Amino acid sequence: MSAPFYKFGYFNDEFSLVLALVIGIGFGFFLERAGFGSGRKLAAQFYFTDMTVLKVMFTAILTAMLGIYYLSVVGFMELSLVFLNPTYLVPQIVGGLVLGVGFVIGGYCPGTSCVSAATGKIDGMVFLAGILAGIFVFGELFPLLEGFYNSTPMGQITLPKLLGVPYGVIVLAVVLMAVGAFVAAEWGEKKMAARKGV
Amino acid sequence: MPFRWSSLSLNRRLALLAIVLGAVAVFAGDPYGGTSTRVSAKELAVIVGSEVDHVSSGELADWIIQGRVDFRLLDLRNEEAFREYHIPQAELVPMEGLLDHGLQRNEKIVLYSDGGIHSAQAWFLLKAKGYNGVYILRGGLEEWKDAVLFPRLAPNATPQEAAQFERKAQVAKFFGGSVQTGNAPEATAQKVEMPKLAAPAPSAAVPSAGGTKKKKEGC
Amino acid sequence: MAERAVTTQDPRSGVDERARRTAQPYWNPYLAGVGLGLVLLSAYVIMGRGLGASGAFSTFVSATVAKVAPSHAAANSFYSEYLGDGSSSPFKDWLVFEVIGVFIGGFVSGMLAWRVRRGIEKGPSISNGRRLMFAFIGGGLMGFGAKLARGCTSGQALTGGAVLNVGSWAFMMCVFAGAYAFAYFMRRQWL
Repeated sequence: MSAPFYKFGYFNDEFSLVLALVIGIGFGFFLERAGFGSGRKLAAQFYFTDMTVLKVMFTAILTAMLGIYYLSVVGFMELSLVFLNPTYLVPQIVGGLVLGVGFVIGGYCPGTSCVSAATGKIDGMVFLAGILAGIFVFGELFPLLEGFYNSTPMGQITLPKLLGVPYGVIVLAVVLMAVGAFVAAEWGEKKMAARKGV
Repeated sequence: MPFRWSSLSLNRRLALLAIVLGAVAVFAGDPYGGTSTRVSAKELAVIVGSEVDHVSSGELADWIIQGRVDFRLLDLRNEEAFREYHIPQAELVPMEGLLDHGLQRNEKIVLYSDGGIHSAQAWFLLKAKGYNGVYILRGGLEEWKDAVLFPRLAPNATPQEAAQFERKAQVAKFFGGSVQTGNAPEATAQKVEMPKLAAPAPSAAVPSAGGTKKKKEGC
Repeated sequence: MAERAVTTQDPRSGVDERARRTAQPYWNPYLAGVGLGLVLLSAYVIMGRGLGASGAFSTFVSATVAKVAPSHAAANSFYSEYLGDGSSSPFKDWLVFEVIGVFIGGFVSGMLAWRVRRGIEKGPSISNGRRLMFAFIGGGLMGFGAKLARGCTSGQALTGGAVLNVGSWAFMMCVFAGAYAFAYFMRRQWL
């Protein structure tokens, strides 16, 4: 048995849709468990009062990254079959900045807005509507944006490949960076709480 | 200060576990596994012995005539040979580009080359990489020429064989070949002109819709 | 931060707290992160791809445009990418099903924790109307930016981050940078 299971043909496309639903349920479940149905909690990240976003995101990345690495190293997973989104550096940088601004204005990201809407928050639903509008605007403007959208392609490239460093070294670097960020986050939260007199 | 796992909070334990795993990762090796592959020798021996993965020229001809598009036909020769003649519906794939060609592990793939050596080698390569639906055209293009394109009726054929041969003649015509007469196959082979493929293969566009429909994997 | 049950609507936060049950406190964020990470890992192990969200919305928008103005949608290379080759419904898409699951999973978790209730998340010093306006604008920017970056926090940051994708990490840093940079201007809304 080898992973990724779908790429080895263990089941067909129809069944993969069923699995998509199940995986999505798990995704939404843990997002809500963390409290990401609340725009206030999400936005608090950017005022240093509640660093849950950073903690959850980086813990998730660590978990998956370590899992993928070790499963590949022992030969269970065929890493070359795993999808890697091609990098288009400048559009992704600009898109990221725009997304960040949208995040702090709206209080959600696409995934968390689903969770928020599902738990009854009207602002989450309005945010969802906003996403659709934003995509529509992008689509209509696409003929003008297409050049920029496809600029600075770097192909499918990972950090180890870019920096010329072994994969495992980057894994360690990410772990250390994340744990360092967690320590800083805990410290920051305490300071903000003390300052607020909470 | 003595180190006690039990005295650590949950968060500290998680952090420690992550750091240890990260540190080990530096020495654990390359997750891409290089270019090595794993094969089950016994399993392969059984498959090779039973010849379940052979496809005869006649069968392949029938599939093409029936318009079946549930398989991919791969030509492993070079571009020049491909341009001169290739079996309809075939895609040119050089050996080096085989693994990058976007083949699915659960689709039916038929390989052919001039004789059968390259297709056999490619078969082994794909099998080792986990492709489950790989078949070899038995006898390669050589047999395709003899059996499909230029069938020959033996002079001492029985009436039964002659009747069967009628069908072969029709198949040959379908593919632009012709029935051969006489007893000098070598001489004939030199003069034989390969049928020109006038129109593009009837289902040239279909393989992309059927098997390799662009499955978006973005987000 | 546990919320206490109150019998009247809190005028400052605007959250309808008529529910008598106490909302459960959130999970330890690191545990929730591990859970999320395992879901992401399972997507990679099972499908060879990660999670996503914005792609499903793009499919929805493209399909809607195609319904209303089919030739316009077909001529637009952005929409047509999400419409496929017409052999099957564009909604028969992995991400669409996954996002439906996200709604369900969020709802289930919320129900289990007594956190499902109608309300508007906002800070104390802003009106509901203005909050909803910002929610819409924020969503618009989010949608636009996500398409430009070819993904959102789920698809690019989480998914790409786990496989050390260069573009994804660059994207993630910029999301935090953009949000922190603009946070000052939004403090009235949240604090």
